[in-house]
Amino acid sequence: MTNQDRLLLIIPAYNEAGNIEKVITGLNEKYDYIIVNDGSMDDTAKICKEKQYNILDLPINLGLAGAFQTALQHAYERGYDYVIQFDGDGQHRPEYIGGMLETAKEKGYNIVIGSRFVTKKKPFALRMIGSRMISFFIQLVTGNKILDPTSGMRLFDRSVMKRMAYEADMAPEPDTVAYLLRCGAKIGEYPVEMGGRELGESYLNFANSIKYMWRICFSILFLHIIRERKEL
Amino acid sequence: MSAELRAILIIGSIFFCIYILRQIRHSKFKIDDSIFWICFSFVLILVSVFPEILIAGAKKLGVISPVNFVFLIIIFLLLLKIFLLSRKVSDLEEKIKRLVQTMAKENVMESENKNKNFK
Repeated sequence: MTNQDRLLLIIPAYNEAGNIEKVITGLNEKYDYIIVNDGSMDDTAKICKEKQYNILDLPINLGLAGAFQTALQHAYERGYDYVIQFDGDGQHRPEYIGGMLETAKEKGYNIVIGSRFVTKKKPFALRMIGSRMISFFIQLVTGNKILDPTSGMRLFDRSVMKRMAYEADMAPEPDTVAYLLRCGAKIGEYPVEMGGRELGESYLNFANSIKYMWRICFSILFLHIIRERKEL
Repeated sequence: MSAELRAILIIGSIFFCIYILRQIRHSKFKIDDSIFWICFSFVLILVSVFPEILIAGAKKLGVISPVNFVFLIIIFLLLLKIFLLSRKVSDLEEKIKRLVQTMAKENVMESENKNKNFK
């Protein structure tokens, strides 16, 4: 990789002691990465320090938005051109990283989503209703069709990175993507497959899913429309 | 209710709503914190335009004056908000405390390291 397209993987980790080692080993030292330990209660930080992994160790829990933003500032200040949001629980597979980066460079996309549904049809499961709703709302508001808005594997380029790193309300969630599209970001999707979660607890139980859906939909439909449009 | 009072209520609630929307427009308000206030201001507009809703509600519950019913509901909502806010404040205090403690411990570690070098 040349100096012109430096890529940083941002790996937010909250209580991922059971998974983090496997995730980092899986990267095979091919990519720059930074783990953001979001004030975990378990041994995540200890394991990372013992293994001498690159880690931003937050002393308190900021939540995904704050943790991710910390890493974005780090990436921006170190001069990285692209970042990829990469889960610390082993769901995302490193073999798709190269393809996502290539897609962004070739087509000049500002955001590339690692999408599960480019080639495959969306299954008719309960949780996919949420995904469909968010897709629909994003299309309604921005005119862009995103097949897998809730995918947590996203690539951002430097111009988007700058906005997300220093502005409020820029959580790495579908509503932010919708807002960035309104600001003129170009978006593409790259087909990926994802594994299930291996160890630890998923954050999205039923009550949390409803809360999440309500927040995201309200925010896409309402708040981000009111919000001032600033071109990238 | 007199027409004047009703007009004042409607204008007041609309201004309240516009004020909140402007705050959001200039990103001065975080999404999670603004949801409550947006809903609140919409409800205010709704009941100022259609006070019949509240009057009917008051009758059903046997509250003699609809105004009392309005007070009841708003006080309840504000109580709820205060409770949530005070929970948030104690959360924040705890976080600041831990942040300061972490920084202090790191400073000690640094000066200990320096002292080692002197010996």
